[in-house]
Amino acid sequence: MPCPSETTKTAFLARILKQYGIVIALVLICIALSFFSPHFMTFGNLITVARQISLNGILAVGVTFVLLTGGVDLSLGSLVALTGVVAAGFAHPGDYPLFVPVIAGILAGLACGMVNGVVITQGKIAPFIVTLGMMTVARGLALVISGGKPVSNMSPAMTRLGGDLLGLPIPVLVLCGTAAVSWLFLKNVRLGRYIYAVGGNENAARAAGINVNAVKLFAYTICGAMAGLAGVILAARITTGQPNAGIAYELDAIAAVVIGGTSLSGGVGGVGGTLLGALLMGVINNGLDLLNVSSYYQQIVKGAIIVGAVLLDRKNAK
Amino acid sequence: MTTQRWKYCAGILALMLAFVIAGCKRETTSNVRPETGGAKKLTIGVSLMNLSSEFIVLINKAMEERAKELDVKLIANDAQRSADKQVQQIENFIAQKVDAIILNPCEVEASSPAVDKAIAAGIPVINVNSVTKSVPTAFAGSRDEESGKIAMEYIVKRLAGTGNVLIMQGYMGQAAQIKRDKGADEILAGNSGIKVLAHQTAEWDRAKAMSLMENWIQTFGAKINAVYAHNDEMAMGAVIALENAKLKDKIVVVGVDAIADALQAVKAGRLDATVFQDAAGQGRTAVELAVKVAKKEPFEKETFIPFQLVTKENITQFIK
Repeated sequence: MPCPSETTKTAFLARILKQYGIVIALVLICIALSFFSPHFMTFGNLITVARQISLNGILAVGVTFVLLTGGVDLSLGSLVALTGVVAAGFAHPGDYPLFVPVIAGILAGLACGMVNGVVITQGKIAPFIVTLGMMTVARGLALVISGGKPVSNMSPAMTRLGGDLLGLPIPVLVLCGTAAVSWLFLKNVRLGRYIYAVGGNENAARAAGINVNAVKLFAYTICGAMAGLAGVILAARITTGQPNAGIAYELDAIAAVVIGGTSLSGGVGGVGGTLLGALLMGVINNGLDLLNVSSYYQQIVKGAIIVGAVLLDRKNAK
Repeated sequence: MTTQRWKYCAGILALMLAFVIAGCKRETTSNVRPETGGAKKLTIGVSLMNLSSEFIVLINKAMEERAKELDVKLIANDAQRSADKQVQQIENFIAQKVDAIILNPCEVEASSPAVDKAIAAGIPVINVNSVTKSVPTAFAGSRDEESGKIAMEYIVKRLAGTGNVLIMQGYMGQAAQIKRDKGADEILAGNSGIKVLAHQTAEWDRAKAMSLMENWIQTFGAKINAVYAHNDEMAMGAVIALENAKLKDKIVVVGVDAIADALQAVKAGRLDATVFQDAAGQGRTAVELAVKVAKKEPFEKETFIPFQLVTKENITQFIK
């Protein structure tokens, strides 16, 4: 029979693991990587990792809103392409001041997200189908607008958005900004808490007088707007609007959210976990390149580590 | 569903449809022209690998222009990278009894049934740009190994025979990736002074190439002397990452394809070189071959359009 102090100790350990399982996985991977590659734990490389996760991070923060309501958004990757092409179209040198392409890109994403939300709530169609439709429509629109070719010739002001500000990459600053605002919003604003309520139990939320459709519409619209922001950042980073960009980005974003502990059925989770999930995926990507792991094996290792990390998290969460 | 909700959905659907129709309209008018003249106009069915790729769009444009000049009708379909869809499109062409088929194969093996079926139905097939395992009636394209050779030869020359190279590969297993590697390997075999630090795929994609280059800069830093990318999109991604790290001046970057963006970069001195693959030449030749075969005139079984190295010295030939 274990002595009482020991049981409290294991309970304490279990609680720690439950709360920080993903952090522990991340730390373990980082320790392993710094052991295998002398280049991993350098300031330059950590900035590189931050820069590389910024895009997936912004998308993941946006889709956190949707997943929390119990929905899903498969159109993110196509929205990134569409909004990038739209922004690039307004960003030729000497055409408009910088805010025009940025706002145009975000508005394009917001509009598509709003269409998703309206069709899902008013048409009573499964989000999977509606956003799958939007995925195809948005990709087609991107190809129509760009004529199948990358939209290049961007103003220096626009491409600077993909660069650095005071030694920190602007995409990283944007990610930090959107994550902070989203975190505060979900924690402290009534509408933010309604999102959890709707995802937790839709009928109970409706009985409590919450306008469920409005909350859902809001979540999809915010998700679309953030995809627009990500599209603008990607276009700035690669200095063109690519109609083929962003293929399968939605899967990476959703994976980051789920790794971060948000439930696919809604109601549980949050932005903090999402950031950790995106960070974990970014570190794996970066590490495998640093170690020069063959392209074939990279895919196997990546998949195994992602599932392993979630397994560690869930096993201890019981 | 209440009527109001119906109106909502109908409105949105109509909007989406309007977009799609607006997009399609241009294509249909260019494909379907009124029949003129007494003789029956030749009809050629075209199945393209992927109309979201800039290079294939250029081939398609050249084919349309040449078809207009030769007064033949083109029916162009986009297989969207699916060999399965491509085979279905060829079956449709056979049912429509077209006079010839131009096939831009998605895959070496999986697109072969398309060739077999057309030949069995007595319709000539002209492969353009890429090859299939089954032998078509005629072929118009370029030898992809040649582009890898030209790119690596340029790197060897610029590094005067000694230095470290990174290789950014295309989508693993595709014909272009395998052949562009093979051509480069042939040159590397004869130049022991050139060392390959690493090779990794960036899947033809600019954003992926940028991330890969950033990671390589962290690992190899000042050891890097040159980067060979299997296409220009990836080369441009590498250039941007190197520029951000303020390393571009010391590192030679070469791509393949000569897309518009890369040509501008060569002109501006940002990209060192690219290898020009003549999309227009391939497209025009394919249409000419199809017409010759359909009219039972003599034709060349294989036409290879040469690659050309593009550097700052000869860039004016390539920018219109």
